[in-house]
Amino acid sequence: MQVTLTRQLVRDSERRAHLDARYDRIFRGVLKFCALLVLAALLGAALSTLWGGREVLFGQGLHFLTSDAWNPVKDDYGALSPIFGTLVTSLIAIVLAVPVSFGVAMFLTEIAPTWMRGPVSSAIELLAGIPSIIYGMWGLFVFVPFMSGIEPALSATLGRIPLIGKLFQGPPLGLGLLTAGIVLAVMILPFITSVMREVFQTVPTRLKESAYALSSTRWEVLWDIVLPYTRSAVIGGIILGLGRALGETMAVTFVLGNSYNITSSLLMPGTSISSSIANEFNEAVGVHRSALIALGFLLFVVTFIVLLIARLMLHQLARREGK
Amino acid sequence: MDDRASAIATPAADTAHRIKIRVHDLHFHYKEFHALKGISMDIPEKQVTAIIGPSGCGKSTLLRIFNRIYAIYPGMEAKGKILVDGEDILDTRYSMNRLRSKIGMVFQKPVPFPMTIFENVAYGIRHHEKLSKANMANRVEEALHSAALWSEVKDKLKQNALSLSGGQQQRLCIARAIALKPEVLLLDEPTSALDPIATGRIEQLVEELKSQFTIVMVTHNMQQAARCSDQTAFMYLGELIEFEQTEKIFTKPDKKQTEDYITGRFG
Repeated sequence: MQVTLTRQLVRDSERRAHLDARYDRIFRGVLKFCALLVLAALLGAALSTLWGGREVLFGQGLHFLTSDAWNPVKDDYGALSPIFGTLVTSLIAIVLAVPVSFGVAMFLTEIAPTWMRGPVSSAIELLAGIPSIIYGMWGLFVFVPFMSGIEPALSATLGRIPLIGKLFQGPPLGLGLLTAGIVLAVMILPFITSVMREVFQTVPTRLKESAYALSSTRWEVLWDIVLPYTRSAVIGGIILGLGRALGETMAVTFVLGNSYNITSSLLMPGTSISSSIANEFNEAVGVHRSALIALGFLLFVVTFIVLLIARLMLHQLARREGK
Repeated sequence: MDDRASAIATPAADTAHRIKIRVHDLHFHYKEFHALKGISMDIPEKQVTAIIGPSGCGKSTLLRIFNRIYAIYPGMEAKGKILVDGEDILDTRYSMNRLRSKIGMVFQKPVPFPMTIFENVAYGIRHHEKLSKANMANRVEEALHSAALWSEVKDKLKQNALSLSGGQQQRLCIARAIALKPEVLLLDEPTSALDPIATGRIEQLVEELKSQFTIVMVTHNMQQAARCSDQTAFMYLGELIEFEQTEKIFTKPDKKQTEDYITGRFG
């Protein structure tokens, strides 16, 4: 009796172990499938844009990358202007948004009184939730007239500075690279700010206190301690913002002016990859259509290169700190 | 009241040492909470003073007033006088920079900055002095020597400080504090996160450092207070119950509460 009971128990636990192992395998398989799905989606999107744009990419080769012509009548296409516009507007956005985000995040975690932190943080998150079409409309109807009002003043002041002066000369159209960059900055600001705020809060209090105890000022604690401690997450947040800026379509299309000229002035209209696609997709056939899809593929490549550079920067920084 | 305050203020047998810090009727409020209730004590120079007491008795709070680190948070208020060499450090005219170069602090958990070992020590010095590269290297070496860490790190000064062990990190924090050449060193439970061997090294270090610095150490470890300190203060519920020569406190304390705590009857 005793023996059969023991045998029964052993058999039960063996079966249990067997089942456990099987469920574990299934679970692992499902997780792997989810991860592979992401890769498949990425690869699929990249390949299908590559395939759609083959006519231009392989037909025109380097000419497509180096030419700033865009002539649907003669079927002569070059991607330089859209790439230029995409990079310049994103750069402006990052240059403006990063310091402001840093300031806001710093204020919210270190300086603001407790009662203020919650509401301001929620406001920032709400800002991130505004659809980009709203930003576009606001940009066109409110911000563009405002910019055309202050652009003469910009030309008269910043425009006189040697070297960078050229960036700020031109007719006060309101539309243009600078305007698009500023609208983008407002759009990506909440993303970068929330990431920075979150990670600043993870810095151990004792670490900050030790710096204060060595008579660091608030600024020094942030710059020397908090920022290095959270560096990779902060750069991650900036890249998140940058990724959004590079691909943003609607808001940029509204305020960029859509001109295929590369100019030295930020006040002049330009175009970006995504706004070219959005503007012309409706009436594009044949080679024109292929050129637009090829632009889409280039956006992939540009984003990838930017991410890669950011990664390398991070790696370099870590090395310098002796890790 | 005043008589009683001065009666407990100085450890009875101690007249040989100059008074470094004189605390007079110190009260501390955090919002509604009355954390310290009229503390008065005299801390002698170049001695180790231990502060013991159960959790929440205010011992860390007291320590954190000595360098005004509490002031970085809103809603905290200290009233009374703390005279360091006769000057009241609670007076807002006493510059924070001067105070913190005079009074260094080491915290409970080792907290190296996210930089190289060398930079960890050099960082604080840069806030107070402009030194040439060679002088800075000397100062850093000197501080690491004093903290008994030099031989262990001299070949990896360019490595990240987080690569050190916990005990080494804590000695690095001590080096960082003494690199500023402070006169007073505040240790807030400096060994609570360390293993027994690392703890032993820190205690030995405290013994070595007291010839140069006035050391005030908060500890929850009574054996540690008995081993390392010259006088011991026992605090309970925001009040200073007894402040005496360490030997006396641990052999025949005057107060019943002290005796109960030391013999482990509460706390």
